[in-house]
Amino acid sequence: MFKNFFHQGKKEQAVIDKISAHIRLLIDACEGFHEGLKSGDKKRVLQVFHLEREADTIRREIIAAVYEGAFLPYLRPNLCRFVEIVDQVFDEIEGAANYYSEMEMPEKLKGPCIRVAFYNIRICEMLLICFLSLLKGDSLREKTLAVRIYEKKIDDIKFEMKRVLWKLPVRDFWAGRILAEFVEGLTAISDVVEDASDNLHIINVSMK
Amino acid sequence: MWKLSSGVFLGWSLGANDSANIFGTGVATGTVGYRTAIWLTSTFVMIGALLEGPKCMETLSALSNVDPLAAFCCTLAAGLTIAALTFLAIPASASQAIVGTIVGAGLLAGHVDFTLLYKVVVCWLCTPVLGIVLGYLDYRILESILNRTVESITLRNLIYFTGILIAGSYGAYSLGANNVANVTGVYVNAGLLIPLEASTIGGLSICLGVLTYSKRVMMTVGKGIVPLDPFSAFVVVLAEAMTLHIFTQLGVPVSSSQAVVGAVVGVGLVGGLKTVSGKMLLNISVGWLMTPISAGLITVGLLYGLQYLL
Repeated sequence: MFKNFFHQGKKEQAVIDKISAHIRLLIDACEGFHEGLKSGDKKRVLQVFHLEREADTIRREIIAAVYEGAFLPYLRPNLCRFVEIVDQVFDEIEGAANYYSEMEMPEKLKGPCIRVAFYNIRICEMLLICFLSLLKGDSLREKTLAVRIYEKKIDDIKFEMKRVLWKLPVRDFWAGRILAEFVEGLTAISDVVEDASDNLHIINVSMK
Repeated sequence: MWKLSSGVFLGWSLGANDSANIFGTGVATGTVGYRTAIWLTSTFVMIGALLEGPKCMETLSALSNVDPLAAFCCTLAAGLTIAALTFLAIPASASQAIVGTIVGAGLLAGHVDFTLLYKVVVCWLCTPVLGIVLGYLDYRILESILNRTVESITLRNLIYFTGILIAGSYGAYSLGANNVANVTGVYVNAGLLIPLEASTIGGLSICLGVLTYSKRVMMTVGKGIVPLDPFSAFVVVLAEAMTLHIFTQLGVPVSSSQAVVGAVVGVGLVGGLKTVSGKMLLNISVGWLMTPISAGLITVGLLYGLQYLL
């Protein structure tokens, strides 16, 4: 009857460890993508698929653990929502990797794409810092602001890339479409990470 | 002994209804398991009834002299009043019902201590007010302490969970201490039971209600109250428990439902939230008037009927 009471803390710690691992995996995926993009190594970029599958498993474990009794029910939907948002980031990376494998990177876009991929690593690292700060009870204000700044930087690069993209000659419709989708996917990662950091802010406020 | 049956029935319905004020929000939101809630409630209701139950019995005994038949009619009328008003969705208090019945029986016998009745009515009026004050103060004080000392989200999670269990247990203790007099206090007055026996029988009948028929009410009440965050839920139960305990020290049985409504309003005031609607306040006011008056009238009717039959 009081099993729940005596196990309080252990289940929560296990969930926290898994969420941290989930975000670290996201950073690894972004780093792999960045390196692959920089070196032009498509195999390196495609390793994102394995990481996405691994992340899916972790996500299922986290949600199962949460609904098996970790954390107060009040907090559970927001925690699960956070994990789902992080999973959406993986989906975006996977989508971008898929498009990348099917296209030739135009020279004019290579530089901006690498810059975006680099900022994607930074924004994901900042998400991890936000999460760890939430656990310690530190203020999230500056950290979420940093996430928003990175997102803004990526947005600026996106508009710059789009202006270049519209003027690029393309082989056929699908080549143009794939390139546009790749740019869209690569730059959408930061938007989803921003949503995730906003969700952390909600969790923080709801427990105060 | 058959005259105790109506008291046991009243205790059973009180246990089934009022346990929702203790762990209702916790169970409805899944924070506390139903089995954990009912066993904690039963245990602490019994401890409260045995340790402090006789305090409120003295007040009810002094209100008027009733004979064993009148005692039977009082508890039966109180039980029927609560059932009828609950059916009409008007909040009813066992304390107000039992005092209404004692006054009704006392008026027939020609003896009611109106000075004591005045004290009891003042306490009823003060119950939600004290709930508001304690809800507000507890929230402010505990929030300030927690914000200064507990930063970690996992520790907060643990504190809220433990806090709801501890406050709920304290609430159950206060409920037993304050409300057991409603169930069997009148039998002490009639000379059928001594206070210890009355506390034991009253406590057990409340526990029976908690253990056998509280789930539906808990879910209804828990989901009916404005959605509260874990900290507010903890403060509400703590303020309610403190309110009941303070009135137990004054020897006056009061309504746990009114204490909990007061506490919810008090917690809402901190954030400038409107937690109780005008319609709800009107319902409570109607319950305040209807419960003692209708309970008193039913007692008079039952006494006339039984005296005619026997």
